[in-house]
Amino acid sequence: MCSVAVRMSVRSSMAVSPEVPMLVAEDVHRQFEGIHAVDGVSLEVPRGKITGLIGPNGAGKSTFLAVLAGTLPASGGRVVFEGEDITRLPAYGRARRGLVRTFQLPSEFARLTVLENLLVAAPKNRGDSLFGALMGRRYWIQDEERLVDEARRLLRRFGMGAKESDYAGLMSGGQKRLIEIMRALMLHPRCLLLDEPMSGVHPRIVEEIQHYLESLRAEGLTIVMVEHELRLVEQLCDSVFVMAQGKLIGSGTMASLRRQREIVDAYLVG
Amino acid sequence: MNTFYATNLLVYAGVDIIACIALNLQFGVSGITNFAFIVFQAAGAYAASVLSMPPDSNPDYSFQLYVGGFQLPFPLPWIGGALAGGLVAIPVGLVVLRKLRSDYQAIALLVTSIIANTVITNARPLLNGAAGLALVPQPLQDQIDPRSDEYYYFYIALTAVCVGLVWFVAARIVNSPYGRTLRAMREHELAATALGKNPVELKMTIFIVGGVIAGLSGAILVDFITAWAPSVWLYPETIILFAAIIVGGRGNNVGAILGALLVPVGLEEVTRQLIQMDIGPPNLIPALEWILIGLFILGFLWFRPEGVRPEPRHVFRGGPDVGEVEHGRLA
Amino acid sequence: MAIYEAAFGFGLVSMSVIALAAVGFTMQFGITNMINLAYGEVMITSAYVAYYLDRAGISIWLGMIAGGLFGAVFSFALNRIVYAPFQRKGTSNLGMVIVSLAISLMLANALLPIVTYNSVSYSEHTGSIVRLGGLVVTINQMIIIGLAIVLMIGIHALLRYTRLGKAMRATAANPTLARNCGIPTQRVIDMVWLITGGLCGVAGVVAALNSDSFAIASGAGFLITALAAAVLGGAGQPYGAMIGAVIIGLITELSAATWSAEYKEVVAFGILVLVMVLRPQGLLARRGALAAAG
Repeated sequence: MCSVAVRMSVRSSMAVSPEVPMLVAEDVHRQFEGIHAVDGVSLEVPRGKITGLIGPNGAGKSTFLAVLAGTLPASGGRVVFEGEDITRLPAYGRARRGLVRTFQLPSEFARLTVLENLLVAAPKNRGDSLFGALMGRRYWIQDEERLVDEARRLLRRFGMGAKESDYAGLMSGGQKRLIEIMRALMLHPRCLLLDEPMSGVHPRIVEEIQHYLESLRAEGLTIVMVEHELRLVEQLCDSVFVMAQGKLIGSGTMASLRRQREIVDAYLVG
Repeated sequence: MNTFYATNLLVYAGVDIIACIALNLQFGVSGITNFAFIVFQAAGAYAASVLSMPPDSNPDYSFQLYVGGFQLPFPLPWIGGALAGGLVAIPVGLVVLRKLRSDYQAIALLVTSIIANTVITNARPLLNGAAGLALVPQPLQDQIDPRSDEYYYFYIALTAVCVGLVWFVAARIVNSPYGRTLRAMREHELAATALGKNPVELKMTIFIVGGVIAGLSGAILVDFITAWAPSVWLYPETIILFAAIIVGGRGNNVGAILGALLVPVGLEEVTRQLIQMDIGPPNLIPALEWILIGLFILGFLWFRPEGVRPEPRHVFRGGPDVGEVEHGRLA
Repeated sequence: MAIYEAAFGFGLVSMSVIALAAVGFTMQFGITNMINLAYGEVMITSAYVAYYLDRAGISIWLGMIAGGLFGAVFSFALNRIVYAPFQRKGTSNLGMVIVSLAISLMLANALLPIVTYNSVSYSEHTGSIVRLGGLVVTINQMIIIGLAIVLMIGIHALLRYTRLGKAMRATAANPTLARNCGIPTQRVIDMVWLITGGLCGVAGVVAALNSDSFAIASGAGFLITALAAAVLGGAGQPYGAMIGAVIIGLITELSAATWSAEYKEVVAFGILVLVMVLRPQGLLARRGALAAAG
């Protein structure tokens, strides 16, 4: 079963010419308290592919991802999304345009149910404003029912249909990961930024998440993921960027990267 | 039990319920720790007073100094009081809610509350300083004798209408998709931001809505007791309301009302009775009340952080059949 | 001109008092991550300890030591009995703020039946006047300034040159890492509460000694001034708090001299608001703890 969310995202991305890369970083810097976490990174994220971002601990991958998503401001450089400069756009504005991130640490809304976690993310709900709320149930119930259906389809697809009424905070680590991905999908994203989506997850669920990510790619979604487990990166990612000490030190497929001496030295040893 | 006593109890209960519903919207639902809550109630009370009182040049009122004195007819002073609560919330919110981490927001608001009280106490020409305002006219006092039983019933009804109105507004917010967004922000602000929610806008809105309701509660209270001074809105008054929300159950209006009836209404009433019995040194009983409130806060946060009536789980029709799922200690 | 010189003299005393209070407060936050809103009430309780000793005929300087000891023991116990268990339970920073506020309220009211609302003052009050160039200060004020300088240098030496100080800084930076490196963080934190509690107690007595009179209600003012200095300097940073104390002390005394003494705390608050709006991380921002995440 194919989610409405993703189909729509494919269609809307057709509006922009396919030659324009999904996401471009131009000389992005991020320094904070004297530490240069991201030091002039430039790269292009191709459409409809899974792009990996790897590097040793403290390389600045997560910081870079946060700068792309706008949850941390860039101290220099530009971020261009679908041909449009979004460097000054706050994180919520980027999310509304379809550039959605997830977090390395579990970030579920603990005291909301699993279904509510998904519904929160859904845009275009007439009841999701003070005015709409005050207008009463009849004003927004149609939107709500439509979104509940959509969220339930996603839940079933990710094998969590039976959990919809449980508190998200009581789910396992792997289930929380899935909730985060589903939550992001509710926004009909054009580009997903995943920060270590497999960390702290049971190996069986890792395989599941891997399978879901592949099916999302098949539907045309662009994915950028920070990941430590190189075996996974090799299996999932079409191309890979390598970061070390805040700088981009290489790019290409995993296979080609393994042949480059300095990158192997810097990171891929073992 | 005479009518005045009963009226007193009911009007105070109404005011406390309204205040607790407003604070619950801010603290329980949205996670804004508004330690300056009482300032907004005070803003409503002062505004309602100066809107209904004659100018301080009036011979009957010349023993006090204050700005305004517009002699507006009821219900304009109450509306003005509500608006004043909302207006004061704007600058305070803009300074406090935009850049600061949530625990700093709480402290900044606490300090705001202490300082606002200091300023009003010392700046006498503004609102008569420490002595405060007195002889505040009561709604429709020229139509009904304010000391008659009819007036008491009238005032109770007026308060009840306001409680109903506030309940209606709060229930619509809490049970809507908007309320869900507010709860999500409370649970994990950064994640909500990453999902397209603007937390500053959400917090500002609820800060102002809460300010409006708090202002209304102040207007109701001041027109009943006909006086208002800095000593009735010291910052610990906010803490009583926090204790009420924590005891009653954060995040739901029923819990807020329950808390209002247990802590500010119930506990204060018991204290008042005990004070009349004249036990121990003069400050002992009120001091014990405050210590008890502190113990309530600590005890509930430790043993039952979800309160007497926890926030209900929002379950949707047509979902899988779920039995009584244990509530889970989600700290 | 004389008015400014006098204000500067008072400013020196004020900044000494504020520094004593603010450094303890900011260290509690910096090292144990606890915004202790009961700090002002512990100060005032210590001031009362000295007051009752003073009434019993014991010198105020001995009373100050007693106040310091009381502050140390009380703060240590407060952390052991209330704060640390709540923190271990996983209570959020915001929850801890509520907890400390409840403690502050309980402490003030436990005191109230004993001390009542009345203002009191120490019998030994001013001491003789000393002229230093244009500055006019009393002997007591000289002692306060000297005491503050000695204690600040002591704190500096502690943090800089002792094993305990290094362990404190390591715990502040990353408690988990510190523990893994074999630092007994529990003992370090106990020491932090003893030391900062001692500072808090001494600061309370000094603040009371430096004002004409004090009362149970003075605690809130003590807290706000310490808070303002700590935030101005960058929350959690002892040196920042010292700088903050110097600035707040000078500005409040200048405003008291030229405007009105009632508004000292309001001026401190005004500075606090300006800092929050313009530079929420404070003057000496390292960790940027005050700014919102994201």
